[in-house]
Amino acid sequence: MRVLFIIVSLMTTISIHAQNGKASTVKNTFNRSTEVSIDINADASIIWALLTNASDFPRWNSTITSLEGDIALGEKILLKSTLDEKRTFKLKVKEFEVNKRMVWGDGKGNRTYTLTEKADGTVTFYMHEKIGGLMFPMYAKYIPPFDEAFEQFAADLKKEAELIANTKN
Amino acid sequence: MNQEILNREFETFQAQLKSFVLRMTCSVQDSEDIVQETYIKAQAKLDTFEERSTLKTWVFSIASNLAKDLLRSKQRWPENVTDICKEAAMSNQAFFQEAMTIRHTSPQGKFEIKEHIAFCLNCVSRSLPLEQQLTLFLKEIYSFKIQEIAEIMDQSDAMIKYHLHTGRSKMMEVFDRRCSLINKEGVCHQCTELNGIFNPDQDAQEEAVKIKMVKDAEKGDKEHLFDLRLTVMKEIDPFLSDAAELQLHHLEHNRGVMEKYFEKK
Repeated sequence: MRVLFIIVSLMTTISIHAQNGKASTVKNTFNRSTEVSIDINADASIIWALLTNASDFPRWNSTITSLEGDIALGEKILLKSTLDEKRTFKLKVKEFEVNKRMVWGDGKGNRTYTLTEKADGTVTFYMHEKIGGLMFPMYAKYIPPFDEAFEQFAADLKKEAELIANTKN
Repeated sequence: MNQEILNREFETFQAQLKSFVLRMTCSVQDSEDIVQETYIKAQAKLDTFEERSTLKTWVFSIASNLAKDLLRSKQRWPENVTDICKEAAMSNQAFFQEAMTIRHTSPQGKFEIKEHIAFCLNCVSRSLPLEQQLTLFLKEIYSFKIQEIAEIMDQSDAMIKYHLHTGRSKMMEVFDRRCSLINKEGVCHQCTELNGIFNPDQDAQEEAVKIKMVKDAEKGDKEHLFDLRLTVMKEIDPFLSDAAELQLHHLEHNRGVMEKYFEKK
């Protein structure tokens, strides 16, 4: 009974975190997952446009220093982030469902973006990244934590999308 | 709605329409052709106009579609378009001779810094994606509301807000970095340089500070400065101003240079 209570409490905590833009990470031997979720008071199409205009990313997203390529299904994109500015991540757009879901990834992991429209007109933005594989234990210690960058990403996206949504007529 | 009302109303916004199409196409010939074609299409399709929007909005949507059809196949210009065109002009003596003749003989051959500010915004805004440039001009220069632009562009209000915000942000960043009128470290001095060539008796700096955007530059409010830049453009009719012939000559030159630039590429 006590174990069940702890599990339920933990799930509730994760759920609350997911609601307020706080990231959480789960580490396992062969993989690591980080996720963040935030409610945004803007039309899904605005959020989607921000997430799919590669060259515009550095303007509003303080975690990305450059993003080149065409963010469309099957396309390759080159990403540089503040987590490791010297490194260019070569990613492929693996899934692309307009205004709903998108997956970027390489051989080591995938990042998934999901937009869920709610009845009150807001949109829940959810971002999840899972990295891993058989060799993961060998290089895991060299990968910095993502939590802070995820929270900043979500906060920047919310701020920019809501600014656009509030444009005067 | 009938033919007579169309003719009457078209007359009231025809100058604005022509100015809008010119600023999109950067071509006098294309703007005249598109305005004419817009009128013919409006006449032919008048029975399909359901009066859900104003006639002006409906006619602008026809013109926007024609401009988009023309521009879709053309490359967008780089944000340093004025640098590229300046280099081409420097090695083109005929261009300067023609410009000087216009300057000294045409009643619309004056050179004014504010006219060049509008001209420069026109050229640099062509570095924006087409939909962002259309939205920016329709909203900020031709005073359409978001919903009207959504009708003109056949897109949602949300997407129009996105195009507007993103286009504005990009232009603010470009001018903040490049324009020496608002940033002492700006790399572009073309308007004051040209003022020196066309108005050698004037002090370019004295002329520049008469413009509110330049006066307010030290405040450093990028949004405000960009709004003032847009106001400068809004107050100028590119076909009727005292500088129209000189600026149109310059615009034709830049368009020609950019066409050759992309051919070479």
